[in-house]
Amino acid sequence: MLNFNSPIKEEKKYNDLKIIEVEPIIKINLRSNKREFSTKIGKILSILPPNEANTSSGNEKFNLLWLSPDEWLIYSNDNKMTLNDQKNLEDKLFNEISKLNQGAVTNVSDHWIMINLNGNKVYDLLSKSCPYNFNDFKNKKGSVAQTIVNHVDVILHNYEDNNLNLFVRRSFSEDLWLWLNDSARLI
Amino acid sequence: MFLINCPYCGERDQSEFSCGGEAHIERPKQPTELSDDQWAEYLFMRKNVKGIQFERWNHIHGCRKWFNVARDTSNDKIHAVYKMGERPPIK
Repeated sequence: MLNFNSPIKEEKKYNDLKIIEVEPIIKINLRSNKREFSTKIGKILSILPPNEANTSSGNEKFNLLWLSPDEWLIYSNDNKMTLNDQKNLEDKLFNEISKLNQGAVTNVSDHWIMINLNGNKVYDLLSKSCPYNFNDFKNKKGSVAQTIVNHVDVILHNYEDNNLNLFVRRSFSEDLWLWLNDSARLI
Repeated sequence: MFLINCPYCGERDQSEFSCGGEAHIERPKQPTELSDDQWAEYLFMRKNVKGIQFERWNHIHGCRKWFNVARDTSNDKIHAVYKMGERPPIK
């Protein structure tokens, strides 16, 4: 990540709701349909990529989100991971997967912005402009959903009860951030 | 508005999807041997029936996968959803 400069520079607190950007963290996109891929990821990260739709797997260091049958997103739980460690992880994945034609490894750290939403009103806020049915999602820790919030593409990860991580593309992040804060005032 | 059962992600709102037009249109094996009319027929002419129509859809705001849908155009009722390369489960 070069010259990290987020468009969002504040933390907002409302009744039963806290919204904060969590950056900088490493995010890596993985694509593969090869059998050996899962084993390789398991060896490198000590997590197996989830095969079941809309789920995730994780340990204390990383989360691995299902995006489609041949696509996953890794993100780190640690926003103090050094740039050197991030580079080492990316290189290790690249050398073990991309270079051996086992799949594609792409560093998307600067492509996605992660916003953490925490509090009892999280789903009330999202439901104001999201067509997704959160009934199953909110009861299942680790659920993943790719959907739209206020017409903006997002990835949602149910990290803990009423605590979810929302990924939005950098260019849309400020717009969504403003919408989240406007709407949070009215719930 | 209606719900579509994505074969990969499950049931989602129609606003997450994009329609890619009529399905099961085969590309001619020898395009250079076709007349202009036959080529135009392949490129532009679509059935647009009232009733069950086979369409390609893309879960563009989700898993970004293509699949086929058998949809009744008169009431938007979806009769079948099946993956690319599969034959329609209904006639």
